Amino acid sequence: MRTKKFIFNKLLEITLLFFIIMTVLFFLFRAAPGDPITRMVDPTLTPEDIKHLIEQLGLNEPAWRQYIIYIKNFFTGNLGHSFHYGEPVSNIIMARMPATILLFTTSTLLAAFVGVVLGKISAWKKGSGLDNFLSLSALICHTLFIPWFALLLLWALAYKLGWFPLGGIISPEIWIQDTSIIIKVLDVMHHMFLPLLTLFIIHLGSYLLLMRSSMLSVLKEDYIITARAKGLSNKVIRNKHAAKNAALPVITSVGLSLAFSINGGALTEQIFTWPGIGRELIFAVSNNDYPLAQACFLLITAVVLIANLIVDLLYAYMDPRISY
Amino acid sequence: MASLKVENLSVGYKSKKGLVNAVHNISFSIKQGRSLGFVGESGCGKTTIGMTLMGLLPENGSILQGDIFFNGNNLAEFNDKKWRSFRGKEISMIFQAAMNAMNPVIRVDEQIAEILETHHPQMSQTDVYDQVKKMFRLVEIPEDRLRDYPHQYSGGMKQRAIIAMALACTPKLIIADEPTTALDVIVQDQILKEIKQIQKETNISLIFISHDIAVVADVCEDICVMYGGQIVEKGTREEVFKSPKHPYTKTLLDSFLSLDSKGDIKIPEIREAPDLITITERCNFAGSCNCKCNKCNNQTPGWVNFSSTHKALCFEDALNKDKND
Amino acid sequence: MNKNHSIERFKKGWTIFIKNPMGKAGLFILSIFMLMAIASFFVPLLGPVYHPMTGVDPDITYSTGPSLQHWLGTDFIGRDLFVQLLEGAKVAFIVGLSCAFISVVLGTAIGMISGYAGGVVDTILMRIADIFMVLPSLVILLILASLWELSIWVIIFIIAIMRWPSVSRIIRSQTLSLKSRPFIEASRVAGASNFRIIFRHIMPNVLPLAFLYMTFRVTAAILVEAALSFLGFGDPGQVSWGMMLQWVWSSGHMFQAPYWLLPPGICISLLTLSFYMLGRAMDEVLDPRLRKEEEGQ
Repeated sequence: MRTKKFIFNKLLEITLLFFIIMTVLFFLFRAAPGDPITRMVDPTLTPEDIKHLIEQLGLNEPAWRQYIIYIKNFFTGNLGHSFHYGEPVSNIIMARMPATILLFTTSTLLAAFVGVVLGKISAWKKGSGLDNFLSLSALICHTLFIPWFALLLLWALAYKLGWFPLGGIISPEIWIQDTSIIIKVLDVMHHMFLPLLTLFIIHLGSYLLLMRSSMLSVLKEDYIITARAKGLSNKVIRNKHAAKNAALPVITSVGLSLAFSINGGALTEQIFTWPGIGRELIFAVSNNDYPLAQACFLLITAVVLIANLIVDLLYAYMDPRISY
Repeated sequence: MASLKVENLSVGYKSKKGLVNAVHNISFSIKQGRSLGFVGESGCGKTTIGMTLMGLLPENGSILQGDIFFNGNNLAEFNDKKWRSFRGKEISMIFQAAMNAMNPVIRVDEQIAEILETHHPQMSQTDVYDQVKKMFRLVEIPEDRLRDYPHQYSGGMKQRAIIAMALACTPKLIIADEPTTALDVIVQDQILKEIKQIQKETNISLIFISHDIAVVADVCEDICVMYGGQIVEKGTREEVFKSPKHPYTKTLLDSFLSLDSKGDIKIPEIREAPDLITITERCNFAGSCNCKCNKCNNQTPGWVNFSSTHKALCFEDALNKDKND
Repeated sequence: MNKNHSIERFKKGWTIFIKNPMGKAGLFILSIFMLMAIASFFVPLLGPVYHPMTGVDPDITYSTGPSLQHWLGTDFIGRDLFVQLLEGAKVAFIVGLSCAFISVVLGTAIGMISGYAGGVVDTILMRIADIFMVLPSLVILLILASLWELSIWVIIFIIAIMRWPSVSRIIRSQTLSLKSRPFIEASRVAGASNFRIIFRHIMPNVLPLAFLYMTFRVTAAILVEAALSFLGFGDPGQVSWGMMLQWVWSSGHMFQAPYWLLPPGICISLLTLSFYMLGRAMDEVLDPRLRKEEEGQ
């Protein structure tokens, strides 16, 4: 079936891309100043352990052999040993993934949904007070500097007003005790509120502006005149005819702005000490924990590529003019 | 009994340069079941008439004066809400299909069903669908193409679908605005035949707007020739085409190519585009007219009657002078 | 003929631009920042106390509020905040403009070549563009920061390489539409080489669009650099607004002296906002459809 072929092709593409990135990373790690071995093996271990690990990871083999081992290791889940934590990196990654996914998907979906609705209203009421207000606010949100905004929120709502925790994902006291699942979930949500709000507001701006301009150009199209000529109500024209078409470019832009969102996500995690992959990457880089940094990086890349694939498929599904 | 009667209608658009009088003081009427064509160059106001009759004027457009009597209603006084119940049901419009006239992400049958569901909410789903199929048969689109998307249709099919959409609720009046302009000649011929046939079968009044005289001559029983926002000549098809009276009509017909008059084409010399912003006491066409009378530059022309149905907007002596040329 | 024509077009564009409220506001804010950036060269000359990085006031070694000597107060080790702000303006401009310039030059060249050549060349180049577009710049910068110590120019260069694809896409579609125009055909028939056609005929028509996109690139660059500095991986020898925020946060001063948060953050936001507004106003100049619709027919 043609859809299957399309998906297969796309999967092939991103796998290839991922390989290229892995390879480039491989060479970068060896090309950088300093002894590459200190990047793979914790120099603070005992000399015997170091020797043992070097053999295990094949680090005294020729480069191409190392490359194969590197690839093999990655796909069998052996991502090395974190210097800092002393644990296999895969454990750490597994522990961090859920937090990032939770925050990231919730904020993106919420921002996209609200942005599309508000953008639609803004365009429909173009030039009105509401439109001007929304457009200006969206503009400001769009150009906000994430760390700054996050810090302001942190100071105001967490520190000064004390409504929200200063960071983290859970309050240990609640989770140690035998409290109900609802309380636990609420606790997480309580912690998630500020980072979610930060990401939501920042991205809301872009989605609103995009939907608004998309909607404005759709409203000039001929089939809108046809819809009016049919005697349809304004609500139907706005939602069924205009918005449906206007939303398509917004979906593409979700894909394009993924890179931007990931950047923002990492910054937000860092400030609110949200234990996700982004924060882990920053932490690993500051502490020269190379295996961890490398793994975080590759994982983030994989997520970006897969998310792009999903967006592409979603768009092809929604626009009947795309034949696949 | 006229089904549509327009009296002294003026429509204007607000622009940076002032008020553009797109349509100035026009009057015409159609009997139920007749077809009336509006012909003229671009900018003469014919599309504005179509839009006004549907209440689809843009934000900066408005009716300045006049009445539009249609089946006991005065359309000039309609508000938004009244228009919404009227459009598609009593008066329908056929657009140029080469335009993006159909929503690209909704299936064609759904777009036609939509107009039925809006105006006849009490109809059951099966009845709606039966009507949709009936419409497709009327315009000769094969039933297996019902569920397609607009981009899968050819130009001619799109045009037929739009006709089906306009007819779905059996309106009393259809306004067709350049419906065949973007189609190739063969398809154009087919569509025109279909329009004529449907009109005869259903006794719908038809207003046909086009810059293509040949097409208008083919379809319409009555003609209005427009220039500079005014009707300059009106009459039956035979009267206007066989014995045109207004200098503009003559120019229009002279520049029209036909197979048997290849050698006689006279390229018109339009010296002056009509000024739609300032209304002065003169004939709009005076600048490009061959008559070269003083009167044309100082006085507004009136109607000169040639028969109960045929009249032209000019001065008697100017017309006579022209005849002698 | 060409020069006069260009000047006419520029003048016409300028009138439209200046009428646009966003253009006016953007230009105004931008000029203030420019003044700040220029001032940053001169103020340190007033005395060693006013050096952004090392200007520790011997009398004050902790954070203070605004005073006559230090208009915005001092940071946690006694350095003048206002001077740091000026320095940050300079850095922001340098980073923003050079990043934008490089990525626009790159993007325009690749876009033109890709659009004009078509075929395999086009596909390959656009594929490469896709790859760069997908990758998150900050993450890449982070991993590179773990391996090398990044100086400001390296950061600029890397940001530029990551961001050229969006420019090239627009330029490419513009080139594609220009390619089929008669005047290009004419030059080809006249025997002009491809190189000449691209650079003498297509480029001038494409440049205005390229400049427009430059303003958007500037905002992206400033934000990424600020983020990197904020995380502590920027050029350690260079004070920037991001770095100022980093100091507020990492020194824990944020909680006792939150007002310190405001100047650098506001500056970043205002500067990016002004460039964005500039870009939008330019957009209106270039795309007549966006202008307040000419009412009437």
